Amino acid sequence: MSGFLASEVMRAALGPATLIAVVASSMSVMVLAHRLAFLTVGVSHATLAGLGIAVVLSLPLLPTAAVTAVIVALLLGVISPQRGMNEDAATGVLFAGAMALGIVLLSGASRHEVDLFGLLFGNILTISEQDKFWLLCGSLPVLAALFWAARPWWAMAFDAASMRAMGLPVQGYRLLLYAVVGLTVVMCVKLAGIVLTAGLLVLPAASAWLWGRGLLSMWLISLALSLAGTWLGLYVSYVFDLPSGATVVLLLCAVFLISRSAHWLVHHRKAGQSH
Amino acid sequence: MTPPALRLNHVSFGPRQARILDGIDLQLEAGHFLGIVGPNGAGKSTLLHIICGLLQPSEGHIDLFGECLSRGSRRRLLGQIRFLPQRQESMSSMPVKVRNVVAMGLEDYHKALWHPARHGERIAQALERTGMAAQAEQDFRSLSGGQQQRVRLARALVSSPRILLLDEPAAALDARAQASLYRLLRELCDEAGMAVVMVEHDIAAISDYVNSVACLNRRIHHHAMRGEMIPEQVWRDMYGEHMHIVAHDAHCIGCAPDQHANEHHENGHPANGQPAPVPHADRQETSE
Repeated sequence: MSGFLASEVMRAALGPATLIAVVASSMSVMVLAHRLAFLTVGVSHATLAGLGIAVVLSLPLLPTAAVTAVIVALLLGVISPQRGMNEDAATGVLFAGAMALGIVLLSGASRHEVDLFGLLFGNILTISEQDKFWLLCGSLPVLAALFWAARPWWAMAFDAASMRAMGLPVQGYRLLLYAVVGLTVVMCVKLAGIVLTAGLLVLPAASAWLWGRGLLSMWLISLALSLAGTWLGLYVSYVFDLPSGATVVLLLCAVFLISRSAHWLVHHRKAGQSH
Repeated sequence: MTPPALRLNHVSFGPRQARILDGIDLQLEAGHFLGIVGPNGAGKSTLLHIICGLLQPSEGHIDLFGECLSRGSRRRLLGQIRFLPQRQESMSSMPVKVRNVVAMGLEDYHKALWHPARHGERIAQALERTGMAAQAEQDFRSLSGGQQQRVRLARALVSSPRILLLDEPAAALDARAQASLYRLLRELCDEAGMAVVMVEHDIAAISDYVNSVACLNRRIHHHAMRGEMIPEQVWRDMYGEHMHIVAHDAHCIGCAPDQHANEHHENGHPANGQPAPVPHADRQETSE
């Protein structure tokens, strides 16, 4: 452990990774409640288009990717079944189209301009000071929006029609949620990459889902599991020299499996005692 | 003179050549329990959506408590209505405590991260009213379908609405849970003076509890008050060749057995030209 903490690279990565874990796990509760897991996959892959545009036009990577992700997420938010296409199909279309655009744009870039492996699978160990700044700039609005809209989002996930009838501007809150999910996806790309980002946004709440009894408990459990998975993942990746993003996601998968198994055991035992 | 709680003035919805609702006129006093029946696609849910402001009528207007529902009065007036839509699958998978489900019905729920302590009493009262006080701390997912529906009703009642709209609230409930729910709605009308509009498919199930039944299929074919007979032609207009199924049920459930004998053929179909009655709502069940 002392070697891990003594490593300058790891120390530099720990703070941003912790911030990503906090933001991702907080939003993961809403992602699961609103069944947006596939949307996060779609938006994360669509950010490749943003990264491609940033490389071609020499723009900063993270802000350009963030704008692209938010636009894609909002586009998905305004496409409703009434307009002849459901969200699932729209996500598939935008995901494929934006990813293809990103690949075409990046194909002309040199290896020095873009670290494709890092983009696809994440590399928090190479985070720059500028990345840290943009990460903070992206995380603060996500957390502020979550603080402000957590309750309406939660109630909408439970029963959107009733909330609309009560006068809640459901469509406005929905678009805000999509935009914030889009922004969160980009925050996660540095740690888990385009391919694995959905893991950070789904696994923490999925592990907490069976144990939570409400919004607050769901958030707290999700946060604790996410932090544990991220820190342990970084440590394991350091000790065994593994890719950090993939190791963190693998650890979160392990947490998910343990959570499900423990829940099954607890209920199995309770059922056994009641018979 | 107290104005009616709800008045629909020639309300239509949909394009002129293919109306979903056409010229609906309805009036509802406080304490009145109205059942709306009709076949699939009759516009029943659409009507509820128009009343609670989710849809705008293409023609006509709505008066609530004697005031026309307009852009200016909309928020204030609709705040006195609560709508219980059909159940969604997502509800039964959400990790939410029962008392927190009820809290979602509070007017200022979405304005704060925590609700003030005074709301705790209102939540408790709503749960008490629906017989779910003992389950307040339970996980909503662990409740039966009937209990979940009662909790949703408590959520609608926590803000003390003057009008309650329900879209097939008894769908997927067994007969006992259905009767218990309808009885509770009847009590709300009688004791709290709440006006209730409930969409149901099964007239037989609701006829003991409602004050009147509106037969809807794009337009109101008939609005039968308590004890009034529904002409056979109304069933025929609404259900076509399948009319005997609905008319037969309505006849049997609401009437005493000897009355059926006089008004039915041997095969149980309503006698030709004999209207089916909407039975009186004074029969009370004593227990679930």
